[in-house]
Amino acid sequence: MEADTQAHVAFFLTGRRPSEHLDAVDGLDLRPALFAGYREISQLRYDFPLVLVADRADRLLVQSLSGLVDDALGVAARGSEGERIRKHVLRLEQEIRMLASGGATGTLSALWATAAGRLAKGMDKSGADKSLEDSLRRARAAIKIDGELADCNAALPARLLQHAWNAVQKQKAENFRKDLDRLVLKLSDILKADYERSEAGRSAEHLKAAVGSGFGDAFDFDAMSRILSKALPKDAFPESRRKRIRELLNVLSVQQFFPSPDAASKKSGAAGHYCFLFDSCADALRAFRERMPKLIELARAIAIAELEIDGQYRESRHDALFEQFGANGLDPQDLAPFPDYLVCVNAEKMQAVEHAQLMEILSSGLPIKVLLQIDDILEQPPNAGGSLSSGMRSRQIANMAIGLNEVYVLQSASSNLYQFRERMLRGLTYRGPALYSVFSGACATASGLPPYLMAAAAMESRAFPAFTYDPSAGPNWASRFYLEANSQVDLDWPIQGFTYEDELHQRVSEDLAFTLVDFVASDRRYARHLARVPREKWNGSMIPVDESLTRERKGLPDKVPSLLMVDADNVLQKVIVDERLIREARRCREMWHSLQELGGVHNSHAEKLLAREKKAWEERMQQEAEAHAAVAPVPAHATAASAGASASAAPAAAAAPEPEPERSPDEAYIETARCSSCNECTQLNGKMFAYDGNKQAYIADINAGTYAQLVEAAESCQVSIIHPGKPRNPKEPGLEELLKRAEPFL
Amino acid sequence: MNMMSDMKSATTCLLEMCDEHFELEDYQSGVPRWCTGCGDNAILAAVQRLCRDESLRPEKTVFVSGIGCSSRFPHYMKTYGFHGIHGRALPVAEGVKMARPDLDVFVNTGDGDCCSIGAAHWIHAIRYNMNLTVFLHDNQIYGLTKKQASPTSPIGTKSNTTPHGSYLEALNPLTVTLGVQNVSFVAQAADWIPEVLFDIVKAAYHHKGLSFVRIIQRCPEWLPKSLDPWMHDPNKVLLLNHANGLQPSAGLSRVYKNQLEHDPLNMDRAREIASNTDIIPVGILYNNPDVPCYEDLRHSDKLRTPDLTRAGLNAELDKYTVWPQGAEQKVA
Repeated sequence: MEADTQAHVAFFLTGRRPSEHLDAVDGLDLRPALFAGYREISQLRYDFPLVLVADRADRLLVQSLSGLVDDALGVAARGSEGERIRKHVLRLEQEIRMLASGGATGTLSALWATAAGRLAKGMDKSGADKSLEDSLRRARAAIKIDGELADCNAALPARLLQHAWNAVQKQKAENFRKDLDRLVLKLSDILKADYERSEAGRSAEHLKAAVGSGFGDAFDFDAMSRILSKALPKDAFPESRRKRIRELLNVLSVQQFFPSPDAASKKSGAAGHYCFLFDSCADALRAFRERMPKLIELARAIAIAELEIDGQYRESRHDALFEQFGANGLDPQDLAPFPDYLVCVNAEKMQAVEHAQLMEILSSGLPIKVLLQIDDILEQPPNAGGSLSSGMRSRQIANMAIGLNEVYVLQSASSNLYQFRERMLRGLTYRGPALYSVFSGACATASGLPPYLMAAAAMESRAFPAFTYDPSAGPNWASRFYLEANSQVDLDWPIQGFTYEDELHQRVSEDLAFTLVDFVASDRRYARHLARVPREKWNGSMIPVDESLTRERKGLPDKVPSLLMVDADNVLQKVIVDERLIREARRCREMWHSLQELGGVHNSHAEKLLAREKKAWEERMQQEAEAHAAVAPVPAHATAASAGASASAAPAAAAAPEPEPERSPDEAYIETARCSSCNECTQLNGKMFAYDGNKQAYIADINAGTYAQLVEAAESCQVSIIHPGKPRNPKEPGLEELLKRAEPFL
Repeated sequence: MNMMSDMKSATTCLLEMCDEHFELEDYQSGVPRWCTGCGDNAILAAVQRLCRDESLRPEKTVFVSGIGCSSRFPHYMKTYGFHGIHGRALPVAEGVKMARPDLDVFVNTGDGDCCSIGAAHWIHAIRYNMNLTVFLHDNQIYGLTKKQASPTSPIGTKSNTTPHGSYLEALNPLTVTLGVQNVSFVAQAADWIPEVLFDIVKAAYHHKGLSFVRIIQRCPEWLPKSLDPWMHDPNKVLLLNHANGLQPSAGLSRVYKNQLEHDPLNMDRAREIASNTDIIPVGILYNNPDVPCYEDLRHSDKLRTPDLTRAGLNAELDKYTVWPQGAEQKVA
């Protein structure tokens, strides 16, 4: 036993594993014990796959398949056939989920049809497929939407964000188009009116053309033209204005920021308008800068056009003003109607230059949204011998961006993106830069786990916590920062219940903390930091990781942190961990603590303030109590003699009576211990009178009823234990009579 | 017998692994249909407190009743229950206990149910002394059928069956019970003293053998005033205390000063106190843990499996089978 413990401690300190005491974990296919139930994830119901619904820019733009199926079942699976429909549709849902996780793509309706076909093939022929067909038809009819299916994989973050971005941009384009068309129409009207008043506009030909062919012979257009020519307008239309309006019309109609309606219906990008989707920060930044003059020109044209339409444009004043338009750049307000840029980059492929560009985008306040996708947060650099610090870099960019103060930041594992869909949209509509730092979980080489599980585990273990920072949400951190999406946000590590069967076939339940070490342990690259302890060598010196993290180590440790893991057959194994991982876990916990503080959980400033106020309050109370004790007279306890004791009864044993609470006759109260739970008072006024944990009545809220009710309750109380006291409202009607009735109960 | 007790301990052990905590509401089923102010409510509250404090598992607890207001009791307990036929609560409960000694079995019966139509069962149940807890809800009237005199109605009670007042002296359930052989636990409680009611219910539950608790209960609907003299004058209640019985709290002693130290093993004294009717004795009158229980004396060593039950039934029914000629011999 002693030798075992020594070997464990040695492994903990040095990472060297004596083979006679400890086994290597390579090849054992171990995973954290809490994953035991998630081996076949496609058999379970969860948010994924998602359905990307086109043409929606609200929370319904992405929906989970299981949510849709639940809604459909709520409508379709009713009555006597409900159970059958439910069974069939849930099987279909599972089939679709398996197809999606197998890599199938397409719309919901396409995959629905494929899955239905497979189900029908799998079922036996005897009438079952008819009922299956009926169930699926009814459920499908209840699902009103369709869209591409997206499973949780490496492509998901970019796909989902682009989908949302497209929806937002489409809405923006529609609004912009509407505005632009209005301006063009009004400006053209001005020019048209001007022409009507010109020489050419009054010529006989033009007048004739204006009347049309039907009545061409009924009028003398020459005479008409002569008369009109005499009445020449006095306020001639200045040539400069005409020119300006023509220029404006030209600028507005050749703009490349939004596709014209006919071009949009063809193929975007082909009709010469700009593309706003990039895969590198540098390209996006360059494009933004190159297009800046055009953008300023268009913005200026819009501003002038508005003035022209209102007839407010004064050359003397406005010419000089618009000369300098946009020289200092445009503010977010002016930029808001224009398209936002979307950059999707992968952290692993980013070079240092790209990092610098990213920081420049974020700090410059440009309307560029960046998706920083991280596939592997446990990557190992070639030279640093297993440190986690390089992975740290990409996952901490979001924390750095928060510091810039005006960047919308969303950090999440891809498993949580569905829950964050509204927050994702909010970032896209935010007027300024946004950073989406998303861990996809798709590092298939590192662990055999599906991306969804990997992503969820990263979030659960605090390795990649989810949060959002929305500068537009309010003036302070409490309204801007959101951390609640993480599970059990006030704890260091989330605690989950875990139940297993021991050697004696008995149920054993334990609470397990899911720590960073659990997350890392599912990664094969870190196997050498773990060692399996054979079952016969389990001993009391092995303690859970979370417990070991809370211990202060002085000198040589006598306890070694251990993990519960399961092998491929779901047999429980214990694995000890070396100090390096514990150190990482400690760092991870520290980072989580600082996030907690930002999110207002265990905020040290608040706790300090609370402690100070509490101390002050206690001192005040103490003083008041002392002052009270000095003034109050000593209560005289009347010791009533036992009157009327029967001859056969001896007087009660002289037990020291506990002091009775001092009650003023003015106070309303119930002798709760004597209540016989007969419901009289609670039925009279259930808010004023309530039952305690022993089902005995007390006055829950004296203000919830009238004095009349108190008196009535006292009168109807079977055991006369309600004392109504004095009325609280001196204006209550009939008080005199009530006081008389209350007298016997005071 | 050993095998049975082993099995019981094994199941108990398995169940205890799930450490569950119950609240009063966990035992409450539906809204009681009793009149407002009815003493049955107090008994329900006390019994639910017992269940909670003892963490009785609802699936291991049975309430059996007969007919009457009191016998609606099982409806309001979220445990197993058996609303039986008039006067037959006790035999049903005995059957349950015989077949399933691992269950906690309670009986709720009224003064009509127990002392009138069920009187014979009552006497024999006391003699059998099976491990049951019996609550006699004694409101001295037939309430459910709207006011007819019951055996415990005080002499002179005017009711629908005795419009000129009842003619006979009321039956005293305490003295009757104390007069039967094998009696092991007798107590009396009053619904308007909830603290003592609860203490007695608890003591009765912990007694091994038949615990008979008579609970004097108000009927605000049909006899609203009949118990007023006792309720409003604490000195007309005699509180029994003893080191082996109840020890009233100081708060209670302040109100109920009329107390008597009574050893629950003293049968003669118990009978004497029980005969007192102008002052109501409240407390444990008699408690003898050494009286043997019928189920322990009569329990088979065989494990009662479904096969055994079926075989027994078949053997019984075979006696009445008409066999083809000659076949009977072969089968036998």
